[in-house]
Amino acid sequence: MKISYNWLKEYVDICLSPQELADRLTNVGLVVADIQPVEDDFCLDIEVTSNRPDCLGIIGVAREVAAAVGGSLHFPETNVVSAHADIFKFINVSVEEPILCPRYTAKVVRHITVAPSPEWMQKRLTCIGLRPVNNIVDVTNYVMMETGQPLHAFDLDRLAEQKIIVRKARIGEEIVAINGARRALFHDMLVIADGRRPVAIAGVMGGAETEVSNSTRNIFLECAEFEQRQVRRTSRALGISSDSSYRFERGIDPEGIDHASQRAVWLINDCAGGEISGGTINISERHETRKITLRMERLHKVLGVEIKRDVAIDILKKLQCNILNNVDKFIDLEVPSFRGDISREIDLIEEVARIYGYNNIPTKTSIDVRGSTKNKVEIVEDTIRQFLIGLGFYEVKTFSIVDTSPLQSVNLWSDKGGIDIANPLRQEESRLRTSLLPSLINTKRYNMHHGTEQIKIFEIAKVYLAGNKLPHEKNCLSILADTDYLTLKGIFESSLVNLGILSECEWITFSEPRLFRDERAARIQMDGMTVGYFGEASQELGFKTLSCLLEVDLDVLIEKSNFIKKYQNLPQYPTVYRDLAVIVNEETPWSSIEKCITDTKIAFLKEVNFFDVYRGKQIPAGKKSIAFNLCFQSPDRTLRSEEVDIELQAIVDSLQRILNVELRKT
Amino acid sequence: MSDKLEEVKRNLQDETKTIITRKDAEQLKIKYLGRKGIVNDLMKLIPALPTEKRAAFGQQVNFLKIEITDIIEEFIKRVSSEAIPKVKTEIFDITLPGKRPLIGKKHPLTQTIDDIKEVFARLGFDVVYGPEVELEYYNFEALNIPSDHPSRTDFDTFYIRDDVLLRSQTSTVQIRIMERQKPPIRIIAPGRVYRPDTVDARHSFMFHQVEGLLVDEGVSFADLKGVLNQFIKTYFGQNIQMRLRPSFFPFTEPSAEVDISCSICGGKGCSVCSYSGWVEILGAGMVDPNVFKAVHYDAEKYTGFAFGMGVERITMLKYGISDIRLFYENDMRFLSQF
Ligand SMILES: [Zn+2]
Repeated sequence: MKISYNWLKEYVDICLSPQELADRLTNVGLVVADIQPVEDDFCLDIEVTSNRPDCLGIIGVAREVAAAVGGSLHFPETNVVSAHADIFKFINVSVEEPILCPRYTAKVVRHITVAPSPEWMQKRLTCIGLRPVNNIVDVTNYVMMETGQPLHAFDLDRLAEQKIIVRKARIGEEIVAINGARRALFHDMLVIADGRRPVAIAGVMGGAETEVSNSTRNIFLECAEFEQRQVRRTSRALGISSDSSYRFERGIDPEGIDHASQRAVWLINDCAGGEISGGTINISERHETRKITLRMERLHKVLGVEIKRDVAIDILKKLQCNILNNVDKFIDLEVPSFRGDISREIDLIEEVARIYGYNNIPTKTSIDVRGSTKNKVEIVEDTIRQFLIGLGFYEVKTFSIVDTSPLQSVNLWSDKGGIDIANPLRQEESRLRTSLLPSLINTKRYNMHHGTEQIKIFEIAKVYLAGNKLPHEKNCLSILADTDYLTLKGIFESSLVNLGILSECEWITFSEPRLFRDERAARIQMDGMTVGYFGEASQELGFKTLSCLLEVDLDVLIEKSNFIKKYQNLPQYPTVYRDLAVIVNEETPWSSIEKCITDTKIAFLKEVNFFDVYRGKQIPAGKKSIAFNLCFQSPDRTLRSEEVDIELQAIVDSLQRILNVELRKT
Repeated sequence: MSDKLEEVKRNLQDETKTIITRKDAEQLKIKYLGRKGIVNDLMKLIPALPTEKRAAFGQQVNFLKIEITDIIEEFIKRVSSEAIPKVKTEIFDITLPGKRPLIGKKHPLTQTIDDIKEVFARLGFDVVYGPEVELEYYNFEALNIPSDHPSRTDFDTFYIRDDVLLRSQTSTVQIRIMERQKPPIRIIAPGRVYRPDTVDARHSFMFHQVEGLLVDEGVSFADLKGVLNQFIKTYFGQNIQMRLRPSFFPFTEPSAEVDISCSICGGKGCSVCSYSGWVEILGAGMVDPNVFKAVHYDAEKYTGFAFGMGVERITMLKYGISDIRLFYENDMRFLSQF
């Protein structure tokens, strides 16, 4: 809220510069975001938190200043000139919705002269960014800024049938607001109506048809309380907000209504002349005063500092609380009506702390020592990150909300569609992603356009898959690397070893043309479960490099990871190595050869290591030569060459029998 | 037989390692290639072989002889050139740059989260996580933010359905943890949060927060200050000052904004701190009794504090980054700097 420095000084005696004042206000929670000189005045822009509507009037800020700094308060004049006529002769007011409008007061002023408001008033309004209109409108704005209580003046002669009814809107009704906006009204909205139609949206904005104009002679001045949530709902539903709705939403001081009304009438009389009708139309729900007890022990316990009872009482008195008792351990008090935010003991504790000064509370800890252990998610993520950055990979972070293009719609993990946001910022970015790879592809493109041709990147983040009440949020690891197929595959395989995952991966033919090059992609399966997708990037993606893509279910890796290590005795007897090269059909994958060998149940075979595939002159068309190395070892003795030869022969036999291989002479 | 040849070659290679002077090399030459040398001994084996294998073996031995000659001559050349520096034809350039492996990097936001986690781990805080797509209840009602309340204005939110939304704060995790765990509680919860802010240099519709919560018997505002002070001194430096300002969050009371003295200007005032000497880094406060009520904690018995900080903001402050969008563009020229 913007306030004028000179205006503020009218209500509280202070001898602080605007900057000093700003610092003091900031320390009690009213952050001064900006100070601007305006002619011989200063405009202070104060950030008022939503719990402090009492500070949406300059008097409220003055009260805070007095509490924080000291200095006596002066409240403005409201002496009303005595009446000539009876208000009930001119208007009949009824409230049909007492819950939504707990209090409605009105005054009538007749025979006024609408003209520009006095210069001093215009100057103050201009200082805080309000445009002067005429003396009537300016007075209602002035009093609202002074007290925080919104008011509205109607042209009395334009109110049909001399009636004001506070009621719900009827089906089909509409209104043109003062700002020119035409709005259809709905049944759950509260309106101020005359005998025929709505003339104002209660608490939000008046109607254009009954607004005060240069020809207005008689006015009906409304000063009321409207229920907070009702105002907020209506304001949001209609897309109209105003200084008035802003204050009603946050709550006004129910005891300040009469004062504001009298103050406005007094100022109108002063600026525009006229006769004030005797009496006030006053339809009211009774407000109860709030009594709260503050326990000194609790104050100490929550704040961690012993604040003396006298000090606390002094603070609470400065905040206009009415102290009711004088018992050692408690303070019973009555909260002023303008502090609707104080209803519990904890609210009082905050008030005491605030004025006592947060920075005067000691900085100490009495909390006990406690160990903290890393959870498995952290350990796995850290391990993967360290492993990959050690290999020159960069970690990226991309948005979870993506567009609905075919590429971003890739969903490797579920048959169901992605989850859409009902109120996206931009229509084209409205979906929670189902794969990280499209974002990595876009990152690659972005870097291509900015001169980085080669990249190796990864991201650890969630994908969002349709679930029951809430979606299934799957943690994924995705990699895009400018490497060949076997290099990235090897990196993945090593990372599994690094996580202590012993399960074998199966690589099953897979096709997703939006991501992967045809016939060069695989679904990765582990213990019968899909754990990821891998392949060479599709040529359609327009990369100038050979790139590979991988997306893995990190939750499975976390579950299968194992960091418990146990020492194994070092082998005491030497390993015997034998190389073998076999010629097979192109269709025969390495995995079949490997499986055939391991299925042969060889007693001393320890490892089978692929090392080469060869196609060339000596190999017939449609065939390939695959070379690999076999390691034999016995735990309890040195193997004799003949023993190994027998085992090797058994392997060759089953390869020939099952896969029909041909041994390649070397 | 070819095994035998391999063995000879291996032995030679071992022995060349002992060559220091020209004399050593000459002796080795005699040992292998001399009249009574090893190669000649191999030749003598030929007549004993079956006729069909003689030619092949002879060829292999000849080939070995050439290889050995080359190896030894190379050593003779080397040791003599070391002894008598002549005109060098090739000079080893020790100043050529090394072959540097690429260095990968964690994303700067991950680095910040890791640093924060580490400081709080030392203070006994465990790391926990919660869902990003949340029930409205956890984002609002349980955190003492009723519907149609003006405080909701501060929390504009992406919705999936009426009662399902993208969390706008990591405070949601507080509730989920307290619902299933009794005090004492000491956690931090890092993660992504979402708010429909128009993207500019200071705003992003997605960003990261770290939430902290400590609940136990006898926890006070002074403890909150103590813990945050520990964090600030450890993370930002021992000479950094902390300041608390009263503020309002529906889920804490008393609530505070926590500022630190500006490290750029040392508190004198500069553009980073808007000439105030202070920069805001986190929000904090004592857990509101209504929050305890929502998770069925006895608010008389237990007290606690919570705090939340923006990871982007802290990272930007630490490195002097002025545009939040850089974090999500993932330009290698940006990422490589951290
Ligand atoms: Zn600064």
